[in-house]
Amino acid sequence: MTGSGRDISTGNEDRRGLWLSSDLSRRQFLIATGTTAMLAGLAACGGDTSTSSSGSSGSPTPGGDFRLGVTGGGAKDIMDGQNIVTKPDQARLVSAFETLLTFDREYQLTTDGLAESVEADNPTQYTIRLRQGIEFQDGKTLTADDVIYSLQRIGTEKYGLTGYAATATMDIANLKKLDERTVRLPLKSPDSTVPNTLASYTFGIVPVGYKNFADSGGDPASQIGTGAYKLKSFTPGQESVSEKNANYWRSGQPYFDTVTITDFDDATAQVNAFLGGQIDAMTDLPAAQVESVKSRGLNVLNSKTGGWVPLCMAIDMPPFDDNRVRQAMRYIVDRDAMIQQIVSGYGFKANDLYAPFDEGYASDLPQRDQDLDRAKSLLKQAGMDGATIDLHTTNGASGMVELATIFASQAEGAGLTINVKNDPNYYGDAYLKLAFSVDFWGTRAYLNQVQQGSLPSSPYNETHWPPKSGEGSNFEDLYNQALAATDTNKRIEIEHQMQQYEYDLGGYIIPFFNNLIDGYAANVAGLEPSKGTLNLDSFGRGFRTIGFSS
Amino acid sequence: MRWLRGGGISGFVVRRVLLGLLTLFLVSVVVFVATQALGDPARAILGRDATPERLTALQNQLNLDQSLVQQYLNWLGGLLHGDLGDSLAAQLPVSTLLHDRLINSAVLVFCAAVISIPLSIALGSYAALRREKPFDTISTNIMLLLAALPEFVVAVLLVILFATTVFTWLPAISAVPPGTHPWDDPKILILPTLTLILAVAPYVARIMRASMIEVLESDYVEMARLKGLPERTVLRRHALPNAIGPVFQVIAINLAYLAGGIVVVEYVFAYPGIGSALLDAVVNHDIPVVQALAMLIAGVYVVVNLLADVATILVTPRLRTRL
Repeated sequence: MTGSGRDISTGNEDRRGLWLSSDLSRRQFLIATGTTAMLAGLAACGGDTSTSSSGSSGSPTPGGDFRLGVTGGGAKDIMDGQNIVTKPDQARLVSAFETLLTFDREYQLTTDGLAESVEADNPTQYTIRLRQGIEFQDGKTLTADDVIYSLQRIGTEKYGLTGYAATATMDIANLKKLDERTVRLPLKSPDSTVPNTLASYTFGIVPVGYKNFADSGGDPASQIGTGAYKLKSFTPGQESVSEKNANYWRSGQPYFDTVTITDFDDATAQVNAFLGGQIDAMTDLPAAQVESVKSRGLNVLNSKTGGWVPLCMAIDMPPFDDNRVRQAMRYIVDRDAMIQQIVSGYGFKANDLYAPFDEGYASDLPQRDQDLDRAKSLLKQAGMDGATIDLHTTNGASGMVELATIFASQAEGAGLTINVKNDPNYYGDAYLKLAFSVDFWGTRAYLNQVQQGSLPSSPYNETHWPPKSGEGSNFEDLYNQALAATDTNKRIEIEHQMQQYEYDLGGYIIPFFNNLIDGYAANVAGLEPSKGTLNLDSFGRGFRTIGFSS
Repeated sequence: MRWLRGGGISGFVVRRVLLGLLTLFLVSVVVFVATQALGDPARAILGRDATPERLTALQNQLNLDQSLVQQYLNWLGGLLHGDLGDSLAAQLPVSTLLHDRLINSAVLVFCAAVISIPLSIALGSYAALRREKPFDTISTNIMLLLAALPEFVVAVLLVILFATTVFTWLPAISAVPPGTHPWDDPKILILPTLTLILAVAPYVARIMRASMIEVLESDYVEMARLKGLPERTVLRRHALPNAIGPVFQVIAINLAYLAGGIVVVEYVFAYPGIGSALLDAVVNHDIPVVQALAMLIAGVYVVVNLLADVATILVTPRLRTRL
């Protein structure tokens, strides 16, 4: 990339790595990845690519009613082109709404979406050029006005939309229509992550005047996007039915006549419905069921993600204000054992750093493994041997309680007593004020994640990073330099320095990244593992690449 | 306490209705206080996004800033007017949210009751007549086994047997698409109903058997037989009416149990009834929904027990004349 601008559509020079700015609901993420410790023997899925079971069927053909079972929903389900509360909401959103840019299955940013290009004219100004002749489901042509309305809706705080925080650098009020298909997006400060933000699925493009399902008086006909399926009926907590958008702009797609998304309270009923053939696909297959599902000739989609459940040490609160204690805790963790016990092998080892799919990910830093002698000696130096520490967690995302419990038992090996406190009112009460706690995060690119959790201004900074003085205190300056860096290598270099600080001095213990495991019937074609935040190959790429084989 | 007596059967019913209302009032207080222990619903709704400003805004919106007594009076007032309030999670009136689910659950309980009650009375009576013969021994042991199994296990076994693994005759889950009724596709009712029958029938049948055995050994049955009455008449006119009194009580307890106990069965079969709504509401700290359902289930308990007491008195002359 050169200083003159960045043309996403030309691709390769700007391989920015993967990043869906994670838009998972705080409460629903991972709800059903079925993670209690189970029988040993499930192999960790190693290697660089995710795997899907064999038996995948031919190519998709038109027709049929696709029935998808999703856990994690409930009476609080919503339908909004730019917001989600629960997991079924994600599926509904991507069925009807599309984004300007998209991520492919390897998390590379592509111009496969509604925009034919998004170019940086200079570090603080982008130009968005729409594809010609795209129509909404009601036949209205997509224009610059719709893009401006969509971005301004996300950037309006009172709507409380998922993407709001990511619009901080955008000068939303001064969006300008250059012509019917061109929009100028000025920035308040340089931000090279804008294209990635525009590709995250909660940045759906809605028509001018759009209101969500509830604010439209529950009228399904109000949910008009450009997507492959048009909402026909929706009952929160139960199901939604969508029908094929006959007017869809990509030729030959989609395949199904209708898509039915059904809520399940728990995985038991969901698996039974799947085995009994009442649903064609399901999200979050419990690891214990993988073999049984395969033995019935059903398929398992096993996708790597960058999702993580960290132990968070506040670096300015005792005893973690002493870096020796933080280091000791990081050496206590037996990461391989945790992968087996918490996600039944469906995950890959982490090194206390996040954003593994970012091209700037510091994979060259030495892998930390359990070293109890070193941990003990560090604790002794810090005067903490045999100490008792409280660790706070909650039944929020799956794995949060298990991680705390397993860490507590591993810490016994270093002579520490960890009291696990499971607090139902954790979020909102003591959250972000605790010395030692558990949290959860979805897949993000490095700089997007830093913005969310590792700056003084971040909404969810559990570790109180960066240090106020001494080494690492220039972390925020480095972040701003990276955002403004127009040269990819330069940016990667800065990101590496930032990660070095977090690796040496940071407050996160990140034992592993978890996979997503989904199930689909033998006659469902067109699904492949993808490194996204969303289940089932980003729900069959918005239900458009997926169909029944004949 | 003179007012507690007199007035015959109608006086008794009036007194019991008044007592039932008193019970419901006390339950309403307990339910209200207990739901406060669920925690702050505003926090539950916002989760990790619960910044102090958003928390305060939502608390005001939900009237959580009022005193507890005021909140209780508001709620009780609404309840008496038939206004159950709005669901916090769905932002819909509770009555709208629960209407279809209530019908679904009622259908399930009704099916289970009309099959299991006559069936268990017949089984229990027949076992008593064939006392210690093979039918009695086998049925008694099966009943004991079924009574010992939690209905969750029974449900899962039935699914494995009839829906997913051994045979695939029946649907594994019983989804009722919105806008339709369970009876539109009666097949989905079979497994949940069967589970409930297997959960309830053993208790009723065992009590029926014990009660029947006692009656069959009584002097008046012996007397009736010695008078030369046909065995049919002995059983129908003399034994059954006397044996069935205690059974009414057990039926009542089981019916009341069904009203709350279908939670588990609805969960396993993904059946959209009040059980799964209650579960969802507790998870979401959706207090108006929890309160409405708790009051409803308490109401079912009170009514069913009242009916059982009246029925028992009607078939027991000894009790009837003491009123």
